[in-house]
Amino acid sequence: MVIVKRKQLTLGERLYLPEIVRGLSITVRKMFAKRATRQYPEEPLVTTAVTRGQPRLAMNPDQTLRCVSCGMCEAACPAYAITIDAHEVEREIEREPEHFEIDMLRCILCGFCEEACPKEAIWMSDELELADYTRASLVYKLDRLVRPVSQLQGRIDYIEEINRRWNN
Amino acid sequence: MTVLLATLLKVLVIFGCLISAAGISTLAERKISAWIQLRRGPNRVGPFGLLQPLADGIKFMFKEEFVPPGKSRFLFILAPALAAVPAMMSVAVIPFTGRIAEIDGTPILGSVADLDMGAIFIMAVSGLGVYGIILGGWASNSKYPLLGGLRAAAQMISYELSMILIILAIVAMSGTLNLREIADAQNDHTLLGFLPAWNVFLQPLAFVLFVICTFAETNRHPFDFAECESELVGGFHTEYSSMKFALFFIGEYCAMIVMACLTTTLFLGGASVPFWAEAPWFIGLGSFVFKAAAFMFLFIWVRWSLPRFRYDQLMALGWKVFLPLAITNIFITGLVLAL
Repeated sequence: MVIVKRKQLTLGERLYLPEIVRGLSITVRKMFAKRATRQYPEEPLVTTAVTRGQPRLAMNPDQTLRCVSCGMCEAACPAYAITIDAHEVEREIEREPEHFEIDMLRCILCGFCEEACPKEAIWMSDELELADYTRASLVYKLDRLVRPVSQLQGRIDYIEEINRRWNN
Repeated sequence: MTVLLATLLKVLVIFGCLISAAGISTLAERKISAWIQLRRGPNRVGPFGLLQPLADGIKFMFKEEFVPPGKSRFLFILAPALAAVPAMMSVAVIPFTGRIAEIDGTPILGSVADLDMGAIFIMAVSGLGVYGIILGGWASNSKYPLLGGLRAAAQMISYELSMILIILAIVAMSGTLNLREIADAQNDHTLLGFLPAWNVFLQPLAFVLFVICTFAETNRHPFDFAECESELVGGFHTEYSSMKFALFFIGEYCAMIVMACLTTTLFLGGASVPFWAEAPWFIGLGSFVFKAAAFMFLFIWVRWSLPRFRYDQLMALGWKVFLPLAITNIFITGLVLAL
C-alpha cells in the first residue's frame, strides 16, 4: 500500500487569499515585462550567415553568371526542384544556363545544391519569404534567381570558413 | 416635459455607454490577457487594435446561425436575450454621479431611475440573468450545455444569498435601500481625520466577501462553471453561434460592468472624490468610471491569474464559508450599530 504524505498547509495557504494576492502580483509584473512576440512583417526575421534560405545564383561584378550549367545541382537536388537548359557563349567558360528554374514550392532548402556546385555559383541566401497567388509564379526563373556576389558574400565567407575547418 | 426628455436622454446615453463599455471590455480582456502572457494582443484593427470590438461585431453578424433540432426553437432563441436584458436593465438604478442640473425644481440625478429600493431592484433583476443561462443550456438539447446551465443556476443561487446578506449589512449602516443615498452616506464624514468613510474601510470583511461573490454571480473565472471549457466544451453556449452567441457575451460583460458599478457604489463611495466634497458632477462621473474600471481590471486580472475551482469546492466555499461569514458580519454590524 502506498501512503502519500500530503504537505501540511499553513494557515495562510488554507485561507487562500494571500496566495491569490501572490499569484496576482506575479501576473501584474509580467504585464510590464518585455514582450516575447515579434511584430513579423514590420520587424523582419533576424538572419545570419548560418541562415539557410532560398537558393540564389551568384553574379560576378562584371554582370556575368558564375554558373556553367554542369547540372551537378540538378542531380543533387533531392526534391527535383531544379531544371537547367544550357547554351554556348563566347566567354572563357563557354557555357551558361539558357534557362535556370527552381520550383520554390518543391525546394526543401536542404542546401545540397550549394554543396554540389563546383563553381561556387549557387548559394543559400538569407531570403526566406515565399508567397504568391499561383503555383506558376513560384517557379523562379533566372531573372528572379540572380543576385550580385556582394549580396551573398556573408554566406560565401561562412561556407569557406567551414570548409577550411574541415579540410585541415 | 423637459424632465421626461432629460430622462430619455439619460437612458440613451447610459445604454449606449454600457454597450460600448462591454465592447471595450472584450478588447481589454484580450489585451490584458495578452500582456499577462507576454503577448501583444490585437493591434491590427485601428490604432492599438481599438476597432477590434467593431470588427468582432461585424464578424458575428455574418456567421452562420445554427439552431439544434429537438428542443424548443423559441426558447433557444429567447435564452440569449434573457441573459443579456437583465444585465442591461439593472444598470438603470446605478447612480453614476451626483446632481447634474435642476429643471423646474426637479433635480436631474446621475441615475436613470432613483428608486427607493434600488438595492433590492438590482439584486432581483440581475438574479434573473440565470434564467437565460439555464434555458440556453436546456434548449440546446445537448448534455454539456445542460450541465453548464444547472451548475450556473446552483452557483448563482448559493452566492446570491451571501451577497444579499452582505448588502444587508451595508443597508443597515446607511439606513436606506436607495443606492444614491448609500453612496452619499459614505461621504458625509471622514475616518481618523484623513480616510474617507467609505464602506471598504468600515466593512473590509464585507468588501472582500462581496467582491468574491460578484465573481461567482457573474460566472467569472475562477468560478466560471457555466462555461468551464476544459470540462463542458463551452458550457451553456456550446451550441450557440453567430449573434446569439455574441449576445451571451454582451450579457456577461454587462453583468460584470453592473457588478463593478455596484461595488463602487456600495463600498467606494460612488461618485465621490476624496477631499473634494463640492466636486462638479462630471468630475464625480469621472471618479465613478475610474473606480468601476479598476474593478473591471480586477475581473480580467483575476481571470488570467487563477486556475478554476473544483465544482464541489465552489459549493463548499459558498455554503460553509461565505454564508456563515456574511451572517457573522451582519451580527457584528448590528452589534456595533446598537451600541
